[in-house]
Amino acid sequence: MLRRRVSWDVTNSLAMDDVHPSSDSIEEEATTKCYSDGFDDNEDPFFLSDDDFVGGDDGAADALLEDIKEDEIDLLKHKQQDYKILNTAEIRQRMERDVAEVSTVLSISKDEASILLRNYNWSVSKVNDSWFTDEFEVREKVGLEKLVVSSDLSSNKRKIITCGICFEPYTSDRIRYAYCGHLYCEICWSAYISTSINNDGTGCLMLRCPEPSCRAAIGQYMIDSLASEEDRKKYSDFLVRSYVEDNRTTKWCPSPACEHAIEFSGADGIFDVTCRCFTSFCWNCKEECHRPMDCDAVKKWILKNSSESENVNYILAYCKPCPNCKRPIEKNHGCMHMTCRVCRNEFCWLCLGPWKGHANCNRYMEKTDTEDRRKKLAKESLEKYTHYFERWDANRKSRLKALADHQRVKNEEFKKLSESQDIPEAYLEFITKAWLQVVECRRALEWSYAYGYYLPDKDPAKKQFFEYLQGEAESTLEKLHNCVESELKEFLDVGGLSKKFSEFRTKLVGLTTVTGNYFEKLVRALENGLCDVNSHVIKGSEDEVEDRWHCDRCTYANPSSLKSCKMCFIK
Amino acid sequence: MQASRARLFKEYKEVQREKVADPDIQLVCDDSNIFKWTALIKGPSETPFEGGVFQLVFSVPEQYPLQPPQVRFLTKIFHPNVHFKTGEICLDILKNAWSPAWTLQSVCRAIIALMAHPEPDSPLNCDSGNLLRSGDIRGYQSMARMYTRLAASPMKG
Ligand SMILES: [Zn+2]
Ligand SMILES: [Zn+2]
Ligand SMILES: [Zn+2]
Ligand SMILES: [Zn+2]
Ligand SMILES: [Zn+2]
Ligand SMILES: [Zn+2]
Ligand SMILES: [Zn+2]
Repeated sequence: MLRRRVSWDVTNSLAMDDVHPSSDSIEEEATTKCYSDGFDDNEDPFFLSDDDFVGGDDGAADALLEDIKEDEIDLLKHKQQDYKILNTAEIRQRMERDVAEVSTVLSISKDEASILLRNYNWSVSKVNDSWFTDEFEVREKVGLEKLVVSSDLSSNKRKIITCGICFEPYTSDRIRYAYCGHLYCEICWSAYISTSINNDGTGCLMLRCPEPSCRAAIGQYMIDSLASEEDRKKYSDFLVRSYVEDNRTTKWCPSPACEHAIEFSGADGIFDVTCRCFTSFCWNCKEECHRPMDCDAVKKWILKNSSESENVNYILAYCKPCPNCKRPIEKNHGCMHMTCRVCRNEFCWLCLGPWKGHANCNRYMEKTDTEDRRKKLAKESLEKYTHYFERWDANRKSRLKALADHQRVKNEEFKKLSESQDIPEAYLEFITKAWLQVVECRRALEWSYAYGYYLPDKDPAKKQFFEYLQGEAESTLEKLHNCVESELKEFLDVGGLSKKFSEFRTKLVGLTTVTGNYFEKLVRALENGLCDVNSHVIKGSEDEVEDRWHCDRCTYANPSSLKSCKMCFIK
Repeated sequence: MQASRARLFKEYKEVQREKVADPDIQLVCDDSNIFKWTALIKGPSETPFEGGVFQLVFSVPEQYPLQPPQVRFLTKIFHPNVHFKTGEICLDILKNAWSPAWTLQSVCRAIIALMAHPEPDSPLNCDSGNLLRSGDIRGYQSMARMYTRLAASPMKG
């Protein structure tokens, strides 16, 4: 009961009514109950339920932490689980399952079934289709033609036969043959198989009879009975590799140290997956996750970056002069809000404009000056690219920084914080959620800038809509990032019980949800190709008619009809 | 090493026996080294190589017959799949399509077949390949015939 309560607090109870459709209606019900428990008395549920933990045994807290660890993965994962992470044993199981299925359906040996599957990229349905269309043709193609082996070979064990490789005479019990019946001695077979396993890579899985005119397949049965133990192990590893690499539904995790494969079954064009090793990547193109960009555009963008890299190298510099006092400032924060240490000037890292009232930073302004036209165009195209690249790159670095910051805070500060604020460490999960939200949003923002670069100039309405959505998402993200980075730091630096911590928590949780919602909107709109641009214009004007007020604490824009903030319940 | 020696010895004995059977191929083992062989093959009839005698040199690896022998023409030959300077041969069975069931004798037969049926799409001799690919069969044949006469005819020096 307890562990559930904590996770609702953070994930569900503050969710906006319209955006996060809950996948589990029972939990939803329970949430409402829990939520009214806490809020009806106008008390913070966080501290109310704190009592429950007093005297709770450590075991429960440990279990709770474990639970949260899983939640953490959940948060990174695509909402619907349409992929599976497989370790080597699970891959083997699947392979054996498929082989057994084909063997049963086609009434053939497992050895033959395995050969068939290898030839049809491990697709059971393709094997079945081809087989039932023309069994004879399939057998010929994969090397499973049934040839008649001279019957006296099996009946007469003492018959002398000359091996087709070493030309030595052998009694027939030392002679072996594949499906075709070409005869070679055990020694030559072993050497032949070993040479292939050690030289041909996965090609050894397609090994054929040594007779040049023969295309008969050599299956696992031959390998198992003729190869050394070491070679058998290698062969079986090649089989696993082939099962993952040739199969159209599985791919290896791109992390070099990781041995997991990901089986993907989604069909909605969203390929983001997270491996058990925490590597997140696009299953389709194996680049890092890149919603809302599509894979082709990502490829183009990466190519563009490498071809432009010399031109924009200067952008990558970590230092910029303060726009006020011109002293160099190094960016070591994740968020774009910079404060000069010397003159206390607050400015935006990206546009170097003053931070106060700064809103249009994400908007690319086309310059109009009187330069020679051609020169101007060339300069503009570079400027345009530079604008988007710089923001793409800055968000990317910011994302990596946020990931590292989160790890550091979690490993080094959570314990201290839980002691100083006198709360179980498990309650600090909301900080983790906030960091992970920052990471996820930085990634989306990163790719939204690449997206922006390819947005056609000739559709100003779309561009405007895009910049509007992006601007809104970006400014909430900056607030969230600042809150989890700088405001949290105050509690870490000062130590000692702070009454403000509960306030901080409410704000951070609220910001996490709001930011998530803004990004959900942004990502969906971009993935839809901004086709809602027209409905937005109408809706936009309605929005303006209806007055909204921004909550001082969590920044949520509330309709004027509401007196207290919908998000954090503060007047 | 032992296996390759034994196998080459078998081939040697077989060659002695087959000498009469295949008059187009004359395989000779080096007196002092069973891993060095030479062959004289006759240019196939109805090709520009007809009437010529071509010398091949074999260098057999210790992993033979699991690994293919290295073969090259010692006699100059104008053929799209033979390097004009080095005599190197582009033939799949000498590379990835090798099988231990091939013998030096059957490799010679495969090379004779290649002389009769060049594959201009994987040329080692670009001039020759280009002539064939551009459809200039006559040009190709007269060049090949000329080199056969110059380099591969036993009567002339
Ligand atoms: Zn043998
Ligand atoms: Zn065979
Ligand atoms: Zn992994
Ligand atoms: Zn992709
Ligand atoms: Zn300054
Ligand atoms: Zn800015
Ligand atoms: Zn609020």
